[in-house]
Amino acid sequence: MSEMSSGLGVPTIPAPPEEPHLPPRQWIRENLFSSLFNTVLTIVSSLVILAIVRGLLAFIFNPQRQWEATATNLRLLMTQAYPEEQYLRVWVCVAVILTLTAMSMAVWRAGSAVPLPGVGRRLLSGGVLLALMALLAPFGTRSTFIWLVIGIVVAAGGEALRRFADEERSLSTLALLAMALGGLVATLWVVPYGSHTFNLQRTPRVLAEPGTVAMSTKLPWTLMLVVAVAAYFVGTLVRDRLPTNPLRATLLVTWLLMPPILLYLVLRDPSFDMGHVFTTDIPIFAAYAVLGGALLSWLTRPSTGEAGRIVAALVLVAGFAMFATPMRMIVRLDMLLLAGFALSAPTFSGGPRARRRYTAGWLGVLGMMSWLITAINTPSTVDVPGGFFIGGISLTLMVAIFTIVISFPLGLALALARTSNMPIFRLLATWFIEFVRGVPLITILIFFSIMVPLFLPPGMHLGEVAAVVIGYSLFSSAYLAENVRGGLQSVTRGQHEAAEAVGMTTSQKTVFIVLPQALRVAIPPLVGHCIGVFKETSLLAIIGLFDVLYIARYVMSNQTEFMGSTKENILFVSLIYWIFAYQMSKASQRLEQRTGLGER
Amino acid sequence: MTDATAAEPTDNQAMEQSRDLSGARDMIACEGVSKWYGDFQALDGITATIKEQEVVVVLGPSGSGKSTWIRCINRLEVHQEGRIVVDDVELTNDLRNIEQVRSEVGMVFQLFNLFPHLKVIDNVSLAPIWVRKKPRAEAEEQAMALLERVGIPEQAHKYPGQLSGGQQQRVAIARALAMEPRIMLFDEPTSALDPEMIKEVLDVMKVLAQSGMTMMVVTHEMGFAKEVADRIIFMEEGQIVEQGTPQHFFENPTEDRTKLFLSQIL
Amino acid sequence: MTAPTTQERVSHRVPLWRDVVVLKWFTQVVLLVVVLGTMGFLASQAGDNLRARNISTSFDFLERPVDIQLSEGIDTHPDTGARALWTGMVNTLRMSIAGIFFATILGVVVGLARLSDNWLVRRLGSMWVETLRNIPLLVQMVFYFSVLTTLPRVGLGTGPINGWLHVSNKGISMPRVFIADGFYQWLVVVLIGAVAARFVRQHRQQIQDETGAMTSPILWGLGTVALFGLVGLFVHPVFSWMGPVFGRIADLLDSLPVIAPQLGFSAIALGVAVTWIRRFLSAHRSARGHLSLSDDDWFRIVFAAVASLAVVFVAVRWTGLSAWTLDSGRDLFQVLADKFDVDGAARPFDAMRPDIIQKGMFPNYGKSGLTMSIGFAAVFFGVVFYTSAFIGENVRGGILAVPKGQSEAAKAVGLGRGQILRHVVLPQAFRVILPPTGNQYLNLLKNTSLAVAVGYSELVQVGSTTYNQTGMTLPVVAIWMLFYLSCSLTISVVVNWFNVRMRLVER
Repeated sequence: MSEMSSGLGVPTIPAPPEEPHLPPRQWIRENLFSSLFNTVLTIVSSLVILAIVRGLLAFIFNPQRQWEATATNLRLLMTQAYPEEQYLRVWVCVAVILTLTAMSMAVWRAGSAVPLPGVGRRLLSGGVLLALMALLAPFGTRSTFIWLVIGIVVAAGGEALRRFADEERSLSTLALLAMALGGLVATLWVVPYGSHTFNLQRTPRVLAEPGTVAMSTKLPWTLMLVVAVAAYFVGTLVRDRLPTNPLRATLLVTWLLMPPILLYLVLRDPSFDMGHVFTTDIPIFAAYAVLGGALLSWLTRPSTGEAGRIVAALVLVAGFAMFATPMRMIVRLDMLLLAGFALSAPTFSGGPRARRRYTAGWLGVLGMMSWLITAINTPSTVDVPGGFFIGGISLTLMVAIFTIVISFPLGLALALARTSNMPIFRLLATWFIEFVRGVPLITILIFFSIMVPLFLPPGMHLGEVAAVVIGYSLFSSAYLAENVRGGLQSVTRGQHEAAEAVGMTTSQKTVFIVLPQALRVAIPPLVGHCIGVFKETSLLAIIGLFDVLYIARYVMSNQTEFMGSTKENILFVSLIYWIFAYQMSKASQRLEQRTGLGER
Repeated sequence: MTDATAAEPTDNQAMEQSRDLSGARDMIACEGVSKWYGDFQALDGITATIKEQEVVVVLGPSGSGKSTWIRCINRLEVHQEGRIVVDDVELTNDLRNIEQVRSEVGMVFQLFNLFPHLKVIDNVSLAPIWVRKKPRAEAEEQAMALLERVGIPEQAHKYPGQLSGGQQQRVAIARALAMEPRIMLFDEPTSALDPEMIKEVLDVMKVLAQSGMTMMVVTHEMGFAKEVADRIIFMEEGQIVEQGTPQHFFENPTEDRTKLFLSQIL
Repeated sequence: MTAPTTQERVSHRVPLWRDVVVLKWFTQVVLLVVVLGTMGFLASQAGDNLRARNISTSFDFLERPVDIQLSEGIDTHPDTGARALWTGMVNTLRMSIAGIFFATILGVVVGLARLSDNWLVRRLGSMWVETLRNIPLLVQMVFYFSVLTTLPRVGLGTGPINGWLHVSNKGISMPRVFIADGFYQWLVVVLIGAVAARFVRQHRQQIQDETGAMTSPILWGLGTVALFGLVGLFVHPVFSWMGPVFGRIADLLDSLPVIAPQLGFSAIALGVAVTWIRRFLSAHRSARGHLSLSDDDWFRIVFAAVASLAVVFVAVRWTGLSAWTLDSGRDLFQVLADKFDVDGAARPFDAMRPDIIQKGMFPNYGKSGLTMSIGFAAVFFGVVFYTSAFIGENVRGGILAVPKGQSEAAKAVGLGRGQILRHVVLPQAFRVILPPTGNQYLNLLKNTSLAVAVGYSELVQVGSTTYNQTGMTLPVVAIWMLFYLSCSLTISVVVNWFNVRMRLVER
């Protein structure tokens, strides 16, 4: 039974065995010059590496490169046209995300300890690398010398640490991370990154000015770092006091709720029409809360039986029928929500406590939903020039997060439909999935960005970004469904039978037995999918949305002072994407190893 | 079918076999049950009744339809012809009947089929909580009691993957008992176990049989069949070939096919 | 045996709302109705909106002249919309085939590098994979494009270039071998050679099986093909008689009435459905003639029948489809006839070098040497590098997935290192590598659509230019999706065919 998850689904690549420590000379002989062929390979590949490094350094440190373009336009790359005086909202969002991240790290016990000599070893190789780079880069004599000295000093420090530090003493990777980030933030106080003035008559033509990006963000970033570190320590305190599982569940729910709340925070300054709220929104909420609560508490009574199913189906039909007659959208949506709750009520029915909990869940979700709808229907006070309130990396992240959040339930439903024993469900799901997987993303994005207004009934509007997110979610859900399906197929027939044999209904079996196992198997491909979604947001540039690639390619290289700086900008954008994607994939590998070792 | 042999008291068998079940009511009644997989007929007009508190062992070569039959009894497989009545409830397409039968019939599988993502105690208490709608505390208390009954209370907070095969199968029995079934079905419960673990599972089953549970067991353990069974049913090619008390079955079988089977296996 | 005893609670009539079969099909039909209803609603909305905005959705623009200039391809100034889109499709296919070929080679190299004994090579391999895999393909393409556009210019004063390789901001030019008029006749010779090679291979294999001698059957087969190819260079004109034959077929297709393909389609659809249903029934009939069908089986039968009737209905109602089939069949054979209608001296191949004879005239794609335009190069390097990283990972995973015991066992029976690789490790690894690599091929095909960002004239780029000019967005999007779907389908059919063969080998 313990073999069940490991052998199925994705082929897992076994980690290479730990190499035994060899003395340097022997190591070099074994790994680089073990045979004639190997020697040739070594020489050839060192030449290749030298050429690449040399070329890269020559490119980066070429005096013709206009790195000021990226430095100056950092604000544009991050948030595009978001008004500067409203930046406080953005900082609050960043702080919230950092707090959550740090607390999650504490609760899930992220990070590990590195013995001090290990740190020394890394410092040593880093220093040697730095010195080599300094020799290879096309610097003037003076800077070559300075960087060489720095490299050698770092290497010497590392060597000293490696030789003399106690093997027992170790340093947490998180502390190292915090130190590195602290160093970065500290440079903000010293180096005036970005915001330059341009003057054709003068050399150098671009000059750093006071009031730079660094100047305006050094205080906020410092605060962010403090917040993150503080949140981590709060997290450790909470972790040690409270039971683990509820704490983790709370954090997960908070993470799930974050996107709409943060979006709301960035987007709007609620100037509620209180009259409308009191005369319409609150009564609708109250009516649904009371009637729906009563209905659900009846439905969750174990003795209700089939009559409950019929009533729930009728609620669903009523929900759909409401779209045929004109009425407020909130009434229809609440009805559909109620139908969903009613349909799943028999699964969670039980004693008075279970019924109370289910009804409370309904009230909570209904409250969330009503609040969001009310808030979204309220006009924003953030006045943004241009078509959309946000751009750059913020747009990239927003589209990616919303796509993943929306496509997850959709993909789950598709995967369940495709593996169900209902032929029509199977057919519909298979057709949808294979159709979407057969066409390129860009055609779907173009279709949705241009054609969506054509499909809407009169009087309904959908912004371009919203339309694109919907199209992207549909696209992503098809791939996600395939990943989940892999997991579902790894759940053996015996598991289904065992669940049926103890009398579970199909939905109970799915919720309690099948999905938990399937999703655990599907975690690695799902993370890969999320990375893919994040990377492919770059396609927004093709349909003309101001994402980070579009700004780098078209906006910045057309500014008078930075004409033709495309290469530098694109390189910078690549670096951003690379850091995000690489970190995510590394994190998923670590997660995989941890879940592989734990629990089973 | 010779009903009389099943109820005949025999003098030299174990204690529980001397029970007189002739007056007991029918727990499972099958009448002309047939099932096909494509063009292959798995069950061919099975007709049999199983009395309350009776322990029936089903024997037969592999592919003879034993497993299919007992899986039809809690509708893991759907029979296509004939009738199956379990504890006065007929198995039809009726949702309510299916739910009722499933919660009254416990099943133990060859490969245990424990839920690997749940701790042992949750494996046992999950169904009582969500199907029987018991409060969690009560369900867990009952689960602990059952785990004690099968002899592994100390493993309650481990995951199934950390247990030996015999322990896993005992957890599976506890899981089935947690639904307080009136009938237990065993589908080759010891076939996947190492020899030294078979005994611990069989012992649990024996105690269960002594406690008066109605049981239907598909197994290859002849010792268990001789010792515990009230009646032995021999199947081949989807049909019941012969049935009778263990004494009758092992000592003077009437059918040639039974003799052939016994000569191969003993 | 008497009937079951106590029967107070045994009822024979199951109420509809409790019958699992009824519930199952009711739910499905409801969902189907909801889905169809939603789609119908959206379609009717779209129809209303299109009418209100006076947008036409007909495919007329395919026949009408357009004013589009393409960067490269078989026709840089296409006359009609159809011709423009066709050029785009050919460019997409060109890019995909070239990309798949080179990405496979590079991917295998990368995968092997990551498994190398040499630490430096291994490091180089993982640097390659980790860098390329984690940067979006589009960003890479745009980067290559912006680097390539800063290459030295070809000015008016640039002289005659009589070189082997010429790199400029107009592209990368090199000599090329291209197919000439006699190619198709030569191809017939090679095909005959391929058939002959099959027999030769079987024969050699037979000898090897009987005598145990190493007869290298595959080498012999390849040799046969090469021999035929070589001989074909000189004797290919003997196949010029095929031209008139194709011409005859084209005439025949031209003279057929529209009813013929209609009947053909209907007959095929009905025939397939009837055969399938009969086979299905016989597979569900037991030896004693008892037929047992579950509700799902009934659904399959009804579905097959309805689908075939739907095909018949479409074939009969939509005469345009049949007419189009006839027309395109005729055109195809006419083109083939023309290809074979060449004089005997035509060579199958020709070669050219990039050159500028006139000052300021840069060699055009397809005119002189082989020129990779900047757009082509950006897309090509993009998809090849990007895909090679993924294929490399597949190769590595596949080889690592072969258990160590396999090669140890092979060593134990005395196979050499090469033999172990060839007969034990690679066949097993290939089975693991193939499915995900097929997926990568699909991705590569779809990723060529990103070329729209760097101005290489593939289907999406041509299509978006077309709809910007004519306003025909819906038809163009429909053509896109149809094209990509059929290409994806082709690739997955080929990959699946390989997969099935591999699995057969396993048994």
